[in-house]
Amino acid sequence: MAKLVAMQQLQPCHHIPLVSPSSSLLHSSLSEFSGTAVNISIQKKRKVWQPKGALHVKASSAKKILIMGGTRFIGVFLSRLLVKDGHQVTLFTRGKAPISQQLPGESDQEYAEFSSKILHLKGDRKDFEFVKTSLAANGFDVVYDINGREAVEVEPILDALPKMEQYIYCSSAGVYLKSDLLPHFETDAVDPKSRHKGKLETESLLDSRGVNWTSLRPVYIYGPLNYNPVEEWFFHRLKAGRPIPVPNGGVQITQLGHVKDLARAFVMVLGNSKASKQVYNISGSKYVTFDGLARACAKAAGFPEPEIVHYNPKEFDFGKKKAFPFRDQHFFASIEKATRDLGWTPEFGLIDGLADSYNLDFGRGTYRKPADFSTDDMILGKSLVLQS
Amino acid sequence: MATAAASSLLPLHSSRRTPPIAGALPSSLARRSSSRLPVSSPFLSTLFTSPSFYPTSKRFSSPSSNFYVKAGAQEEKKKVLVVNTNSGGHAIIGFYFARELLGSGHEVTVLTVGEESSDKMKKPPFTRFSELVSAGGRTVWGDPGEVGKIVGTAAFDVVLDNNGKDLDAVKPVADWAKSAGIKQFLYISSAGIYKTGDEFPHLEGDPIKDDAGHVFVEKYIADLSFSSWAIFRPQYMIGSGNNKDCEEWFFDRIVRNRPVPIPGSGMQLTNISHVRDLSSMLSLAVEKPLAANGKIFNCVCDRAATLDGMARLCAKAAGRELKIVHYDPKALGIDSRKAFPFRNMHFYAEPRAAKEMLGWTSSTNLPEDLKERFDEYVSIGRDKKQMQFDIDDKILESLKVMVTV
Repeated sequence: MAKLVAMQQLQPCHHIPLVSPSSSLLHSSLSEFSGTAVNISIQKKRKVWQPKGALHVKASSAKKILIMGGTRFIGVFLSRLLVKDGHQVTLFTRGKAPISQQLPGESDQEYAEFSSKILHLKGDRKDFEFVKTSLAANGFDVVYDINGREAVEVEPILDALPKMEQYIYCSSAGVYLKSDLLPHFETDAVDPKSRHKGKLETESLLDSRGVNWTSLRPVYIYGPLNYNPVEEWFFHRLKAGRPIPVPNGGVQITQLGHVKDLARAFVMVLGNSKASKQVYNISGSKYVTFDGLARACAKAAGFPEPEIVHYNPKEFDFGKKKAFPFRDQHFFASIEKATRDLGWTPEFGLIDGLADSYNLDFGRGTYRKPADFSTDDMILGKSLVLQS
Repeated sequence: MATAAASSLLPLHSSRRTPPIAGALPSSLARRSSSRLPVSSPFLSTLFTSPSFYPTSKRFSSPSSNFYVKAGAQEEKKKVLVVNTNSGGHAIIGFYFARELLGSGHEVTVLTVGEESSDKMKKPPFTRFSELVSAGGRTVWGDPGEVGKIVGTAAFDVVLDNNGKDLDAVKPVADWAKSAGIKQFLYISSAGIYKTGDEFPHLEGDPIKDDAGHVFVEKYIADLSFSSWAIFRPQYMIGSGNNKDCEEWFFDRIVRNRPVPIPGSGMQLTNISHVRDLSSMLSLAVEKPLAANGKIFNCVCDRAATLDGMARLCAKAAGRELKIVHYDPKALGIDSRKAFPFRNMHFYAEPRAAKEMLGWTSSTNLPEDLKERFDEYVSIGRDKKQMQFDIDDKILESLKVMVTV
């Protein structure tokens, strides 16, 4: 009888994170920072479809899944969703970081459940021979390639798993050729010379090998455990009560996507025939100006509105240091294809997403890079400041 | 009868979607419907009126049920009245819309504000109204406040008000339409009513300025409870027959080798759509009154360009060199609204509601469309026309920029 009940819930639960609503792991409670009613209605919807104690039945049959990486950021959240969905999940890592760590907001029980099930295949993905033999020996159904950068790294994986059902790749919206017309759509021209050309070459390789592949192109990813100092960069300055130096006019428009929404998108393409040989832009529903992002970080973290200082980056030589965490241009992509074809929508708006990141990470005193205000001081020291 | 009626409630779908099983909720929309506010999903409303849920639905007996187009059957021809402004950027919308409707076999009357003999009628699109007449349309002139008298006993199914910016102008038309039993009322508002903040794009449902004239009109129309009503919020348009300069402003300078003065950084994003996109969206709303009912649609294409980007695209279309000069209007004492055809700020909306609710797609392709526009620009001899660039000169003088004549 329990089985029957679970089966009836099979359809509706399929594309909703199968984590109990009380867990703050995947969605911290909406604070007063919640802007949009969108999130509220989704919360309500969860309650309707997921009565307490419901059996968490996986929507597709249990698969043997390999994640390349998985201990740092995206994979941390993705692996949990997959394990919860009943799949057998193995992380391929060098073992430098622990295979699992309890996340802030994750209950002891949830963590125990996860850590007892997650598997580890220790190795260096640049050791192509080892990759080939170890993967062939294990035989995986699906590979999530979260940390691949170059096409050459993917070949041994394809060679090892001729019967692989799906190769799901974390690409990047950085592959798009800069354009005067925005947002970027998946059909837009790509830049073979971009910093992310390895991602492009990987997508091409996958396509040429006749593999059932899916590629997701995130823009800027943010959320707890972010190792790229995106929101952290702002939080450091806000905490120190420092002005926020923003290049040029601060009207440049960028786009942030929450890591948990990205993880959900990765789960939604699993075993989804619609996603076969498709690329999807995955990010937030709205875009934000640089100045606006500074304000949003302050609002999300409960800091007063920051002083923003604009400067002309051409007037400085910062050496190898990055004075600002975003590329100095408009950069955003439409998520319409994913919404239309997969039924995926981001659950986090900008303010509540930043609040989630702050509450579970920086606000608890954790961060990846210590504060470095050297470039700020160069900028602030100069008396010449751009008119805004 | 019930079954037939149920099938007639299935929305006319674009080829992209498979038709939903009567009574079943398409899973893609089940997931999506909760994340869209404040509009209701047409599929959901279909669901709750289908006989399998409510054997006797009031909707079936309402007069408006005759209005539903039967899926697969010959499309119903409508009688449409367009109340059109006699000037400004929006004038062209009524012209394209009328032309498209006539092309689809509908009956169209265009009521243009004012008098046929006025000087305003010597500018496009009015100079091309003969195209509407030869396609079977009727063109009349008058005061929209007297619309009832002007159209007399003629009955209409649909009214588009493409004229009023405030309640004074639209109320008489809306009131008349309601009393005349008009089934569908469409209103051209403006994306300019969105409150600006830090996040973009402006989406349907986002906060709007409380004091804008259009806002009062939108609310008034909503409260009149037409069988079907919809609001369209456009931005800037290009297209043959436009009444107000858009791309021409750039062409004027580019062909004369003049610098193009752009206020601010030139990074401001804006939507510049080909008017055929607006027309197709309106036409789709006429075809799908159920899907369009009670909705707000950003009436724009799905890409934005920066102001600098627009200049570049115009120069490329013209095959000429481009020199952009940026200036700070405040510092130079210039009113940028007089000096430049676009708002000096991000002004960026996306047509998500139209794509989702109507299955509409955008066809604006600025690089291609601007080539066509430039060809026409030259063919009418505007590139050779004598022009004054007083404000430009004032700006350039302040910036001490050399102009090669």
